[in-house]
Amino acid sequence: MIEKLMNIDRRIVFILVGLAVIIPSLLSVSFPITVSQPTRSTYDYIESLPTGSTLMIGFNYGPSSLAELHPMAEAVIHHCFQQKVRVIGMTLLPDGATLGDDMLRKVADETGAIYGEDYVYLGFRPGATQVLLGMGTAIDSVFEADYAKTPLAEIPMMADITNYEQIDLVLDLASGSSTEWWIVYTNTRYNQQIAAGVTGVIVSQMYPYLQTKQLIGLMPGLLGAAEYEKLIGRPAKGTEGMSIQSFAHLLVVGLVILGNIAFFIQRRQAE
Amino acid sequence: MWELIGIWLAALLTLCIFSFLYRDNPFYRFAEHLFVGVSVGYGIVLTVHQGLIPFAWNPLRDAFTQQQWIGLVKIIPICIGALFFARLFPAHGWLIRYPIAILIGVGSGLAIPNVMRADIFEQVLGTLTPFAQIHAGELDPFQIFGAILMLLGVISTLTYFFFSVEHRGVVGGVSKIGIVFLMIGFGSAFGNTVMGRVSLLIQRVDFLLADWLHLI
Amino acid sequence: MRRQVPLILCFAFGIVMALTEFSPHRFSQWLNKEVIDWTLVIGPFALVLAIATLIQTHWTRIRRRSEYWQYSFLVFIGMIVMVVIGIPLGQRHPVFVWLFRYVQVPMDATMFSLLAFFIASAAYRAFRARTLEATLLLAAALIVMIGNAPVGDLIWNTIIPFGDNLPSAARQWILDNPNLSARRGIILGISLGVISQSIRIILGIERSYLGGVEGD
Repeated sequence: MIEKLMNIDRRIVFILVGLAVIIPSLLSVSFPITVSQPTRSTYDYIESLPTGSTLMIGFNYGPSSLAELHPMAEAVIHHCFQQKVRVIGMTLLPDGATLGDDMLRKVADETGAIYGEDYVYLGFRPGATQVLLGMGTAIDSVFEADYAKTPLAEIPMMADITNYEQIDLVLDLASGSSTEWWIVYTNTRYNQQIAAGVTGVIVSQMYPYLQTKQLIGLMPGLLGAAEYEKLIGRPAKGTEGMSIQSFAHLLVVGLVILGNIAFFIQRRQAE
Repeated sequence: MWELIGIWLAALLTLCIFSFLYRDNPFYRFAEHLFVGVSVGYGIVLTVHQGLIPFAWNPLRDAFTQQQWIGLVKIIPICIGALFFARLFPAHGWLIRYPIAILIGVGSGLAIPNVMRADIFEQVLGTLTPFAQIHAGELDPFQIFGAILMLLGVISTLTYFFFSVEHRGVVGGVSKIGIVFLMIGFGSAFGNTVMGRVSLLIQRVDFLLADWLHLI
Repeated sequence: MRRQVPLILCFAFGIVMALTEFSPHRFSQWLNKEVIDWTLVIGPFALVLAIATLIQTHWTRIRRRSEYWQYSFLVFIGMIVMVVIGIPLGQRHPVFVWLFRYVQVPMDATMFSLLAFFIASAAYRAFRARTLEATLLLAAALIVMIGNAPVGDLIWNTIIPFGDNLPSAARQWILDNPNLSARRGIILGISLGVISQSIRIILGIERSYLGGVEGD
């Protein structure tokens, strides 16, 4: 029996995982979200920005991480447009280029934000750290035109934005090392304030930067999106996803406990 | 119309990939290889339109069409970059070392001062600052415990990675404490990774049930 | 020419970047900016390396009729379709965006969502409290998983009359304390490694980036 339980076909586990996600999705369950301090810090910082401030968002993720970071981007951009904070979008990864463009346009359509006045999308430039350093001197030395190839000189919003000095906060939405690049090359060198929203896989490694204030805030994966949605009072994909997530987490916890019980029984029998 | 076709295509490709859960099969291999090709093609287009054209082509074009002759200086890095094409000619393959050497040299030169400041000075400062706060009487007992725990954790973790000394006696004991911290750190990373991976699945299930089948 | 010049280039560019980072002098800042601009031009050409390697790999598979060689044609088809549409029409053209949205996105997202299944299976099979270290890892992972799930707080608050939202608070404490210490130790270790490796590269002690290319 125990032997059987321990050598169960992995496809049975797969079916359980599938059901743990599909059933709650169909039932549209919803649980209350507790907001963590790092997410609240990000929200508070943006909330405290005066009208006309500028936030730069790095869409540094591809389709493989959009499930975690797209809802976060949506919530933060909504908040910015509500607060009349201007948004500049850009990415250091080619995969993020279309995603960032789509997301900014989606939220702009919903809120009535105007391109070139309330937000600008610069798109992608290869070179990562050199792109970050180049923007420190002049953004238009790296992005001489926006994603639609309109010269920055012709975009009204960019008239008074030259480099990081006019950017009040950088929010890096990252699935890889980009947050470390922003910290090392823009926070350190240009004293740029940075917040991050990162995938679950890398969130643990960001905490040292949070304690040193090299990051002023941190949003952890889909949970971060749900927390931010709660703070702006606009539940969306993050909140929905985290409620479903609960069942999958309970399943994994249950599986680990079951596996260990079986393991200890088997060990005792062997002894 | 095109959106509907797109959703059906996306759903079929999603199912092709999910079919791998049963076992490796031609549908999965079809989607896997198509994915590699499309991703690379997308990367090429973005790098050309958002990299080569603005950085290399436009300055040269402006130099000739608008007599901005300063743009001709860009010919030097363009020629160096073009040496990457030497990869296509085996006899001259060694030429790609020139641009690689420059990129690596610049990257290394930039890393030394910036990494030192951001990842060493700031991190050491972050570890010690709470003790100044303790001295100033700004921390409560729980925070003082946290500060001591942090110092112990950082020192013991570093000791664990210090392989120049044999891990015996005091060093061995401290490095064992380091393992404790590392294990808790990795455990928390695992817990967060589960959240990340499940999030991806939730999004795909949401796409299939809502956008494709309209069940929710 | 083949080894010495790249080493000299690497040294020169590395030293220039490291030194100009420290100097606020106008010339120094201009030089720093100019070199960064150069690398922005050189960098995108590295795309040639990626494409050449991919084509070579799959062409070799087709030529040798390796297992599943037929699928390599799909790689070329996917790549060519994206390039043929994207290069002349641009990255914002509706057809190119359609292909990205309905072909690349679903496959990429689904591919990674498979990991949700595998991570659950691996947790069941391999996550055992065999030793003290493994137990710590397991306990931290479980606390973080429960703390991450909103249902964790809900169950706790319903059953236990004290310690409101304890699961999420416990998760946050683990991340803010032992996890932070362990990660800081790792960051310090990696940073020291990055700096020493950068110095070795600039000084020409570390030469592995020169590789053993054809025509050497």
